[in-house]
Amino acid sequence: MKRSGMILLVAGLILTFAAMAAAQCPSTLDKIKNSGVFTIGVRNGSPPFSFINKQNERAGFSNDLAMLVHKAIEQKLGKQVKLEMKETAPATRIPLLTSMSVDLITETMTDTRPRRDSVDFSLTFFVTGADFIVKKGSPIHGTKDIAGKRIGTQQGSTNERVLREKYTQAQLVSFPDQAAAFMALQQGKLDAYCNDAIQLWGLKYKSSDPAQWEVVGDWISYEPYGMAMRKNDSDFRAVVNNALMEAIEGGEYFKLYEKWFGAKSDVPYPMSQAFKTFLLYQVVPK
Amino acid sequence: MNFEWSVVIANAKFLLVQGLLGFGIYGGGTLRLAIPAILLGFVVGIILGLARLANRPWIHYPATLYIELIRGVPLVIVIFWFWFLVPVMIGRPVPEYWVALTAFVIFEGAYIGEIIRAGIQSVPRGQVDAATAAGLSYAQTMIYVVLPQAIRNMIPSLVTQFIVLFKDTSLASIIGMMDLTKAAQTVSERELRPFEMYLFIAVVYWCFTYSMSRFAQWLETRMSPDRVR
Amino acid sequence: MIFGFLGMTYEFKWSVLWVQPHLTWLIDGISTTLRLAAISWCLAVLLGILFGAMRTVPFRPVRIVATAYVEFFRNVPLLVWLFFWYFGAPEVFPEVVRQWFIRHGIEFWSGVAAISVYHGSRLAEVIRSGIQSIPKTQLEAGISSGLSVVQTYRLIIIPVALRLIVPPATNESLNLLKNTSLAMTIGVAELTFATRQIETYTAKAVEALSAAALLYLVLCLSISTVMNRLESKFAIPGLIARGVKAEH
Repeated sequence: MKRSGMILLVAGLILTFAAMAAAQCPSTLDKIKNSGVFTIGVRNGSPPFSFINKQNERAGFSNDLAMLVHKAIEQKLGKQVKLEMKETAPATRIPLLTSMSVDLITETMTDTRPRRDSVDFSLTFFVTGADFIVKKGSPIHGTKDIAGKRIGTQQGSTNERVLREKYTQAQLVSFPDQAAAFMALQQGKLDAYCNDAIQLWGLKYKSSDPAQWEVVGDWISYEPYGMAMRKNDSDFRAVVNNALMEAIEGGEYFKLYEKWFGAKSDVPYPMSQAFKTFLLYQVVPK
Repeated sequence: MNFEWSVVIANAKFLLVQGLLGFGIYGGGTLRLAIPAILLGFVVGIILGLARLANRPWIHYPATLYIELIRGVPLVIVIFWFWFLVPVMIGRPVPEYWVALTAFVIFEGAYIGEIIRAGIQSVPRGQVDAATAAGLSYAQTMIYVVLPQAIRNMIPSLVTQFIVLFKDTSLASIIGMMDLTKAAQTVSERELRPFEMYLFIAVVYWCFTYSMSRFAQWLETRMSPDRVR
Repeated sequence: MIFGFLGMTYEFKWSVLWVQPHLTWLIDGISTTLRLAAISWCLAVLLGILFGAMRTVPFRPVRIVATAYVEFFRNVPLLVWLFFWYFGAPEVFPEVVRQWFIRHGIEFWSGVAAISVYHGSRLAEVIRSGIQSIPKTQLEAGISSGLSVVQTYRLIIIPVALRLIVPPATNESLNLLKNTSLAMTIGVAELTFATRQIETYTAKAVEALSAAALLYLVLCLSISTVMNRLESKFAIPGLIARGVKAEH
């Protein structure tokens, strides 16, 4: 009896503790102003968007875009603000955002309607779709071949959800992060790895032997990337969107695109005309 | 299978200076986490151990509840709790280092509290009675008579628990803190040399914990030569 | 039920825990945790008895081998071992063996390997303490009665030692159960993994983590209640001091 009484008491404690979790929620700009720190969510192994390079430093296209947002915030607040980068992963980024561990997720998060129930998104800054990466010569060419095969995904990603809901015949293996999943693929533990196409191209080109890998499939889902922030924070959202619009209008965005996806970069991926038009149409008049 | 130890050598600086010691752009660091955690955990443990032995129910029951709750739950769960709750309660982002430190102190404090309680209870009751008879207050009895003897009894178990804490710091890598394990993970995933990387950090961890356990054995023989088996 | 506090609302939705498919995930998670713990525990006990006994035999080379096993495996964090056994070790096996494991749940079996070897080394220490607290006269009596060393251990020493070490062994067994939560880092879909999954799909972190904490508490309390009953049932009459302390 004493033990079960203890369990009840404990349950009560957990509830109380949990109730405290619904604590204060100031606007992001106020929070950054008071603390002097702007924290963004980044990845360790998602080249060329957000990763750790050979010099063991953080780098990437999304990281660079985030730095433009950082400058815009400093301009808006009129003071110096420290930029901090925290590692986030698909499974952890929304809780980290809502618990105020990070202020902006800038890595490779797909904008979807269910996610908009929990967070707000900025403009779309990249457009891609989900594909598979396989070893050269693999019999898998698309979703019709994945039944019964071991397909890797990241926990909490849109790809995992799509495969789980639409392609139940595939054997899903979920990893906390892309790097672990890709290593498992290379070790033969997976038949294919499913993620957004552009990231798969990044993995392919950054690997030690790009010729060994193929990106197959036909965009089994549409994946527009947006920067995620806490809900109902229009001032902050305006700053972020303005920064992105400035970058597109002023050409900074295209310079960064050339740096990370241009012909001379590690992951050459020419910008399609449709994508360029889409970007330009997102810039509303000043 | 061919081994490529050059990867270990190329990244050894990152692993040891950033991962083990904690100097670098990522914060973190195994030792930077372990040492404060041990010291603070010890303090929390003493408070909890004494609280568990207190006569007043409003001190005794919460302490017992806290210890029983913590001991029934994996450390990973405690870390996740603090990862989500600490920034919310404070209202600003908290580096993983502080989340991890808080979680470790809270978690290990419970285990150390139990060791301290056992240590205090191993001091013969006659000592407390004699102290009371000699006119010492409760606090004086504790500080001058009971605790010194209790600590002598529990040093082996304490050092053991500190070694456990040192190994448990590897769990901070799960929430992204750049400790030795996370550094090895980052490099091994980029360079695809997991066998070499994890073996290397296994050796590094081993060096520390083995020295600590030899120290514990030395302490045991020094402190109580009559009790060595 | 909505909770408002200082301007921000968090909507508690405990139903996410028992609605399908989340409930299935939880149940599968619990069953995987129990399977992982049970199999690892059996292997760890076997390894523990073997190496624990080996550390006490009057034959030095055997003692050195056993000491090497114990000191090597228990001084490294379990998390590192999990990564090593899942990512590192399979690479040294021949392709055929590897492919077989990959087709048959390599994540689970790497987890079993890491947990059982690690806890085997810890149980070895516990069992060693148990054996060493048995008076040496028992061993001498056994040998002088005509039994071989192995027989003496098997028939006399080990049964008594096992009954002596129930408290620290219970401690270690509970640690093993709690350590199964680490297997989520190599993709084993056990209880912690399942609650994290619920949380990523519903963003209800508080509910999911509360469920995890409560379920582990229930599991641990049940096991320790059972072990306490076993302890009183198997207590050796006349022996007051257990004589063994829990090792790290």
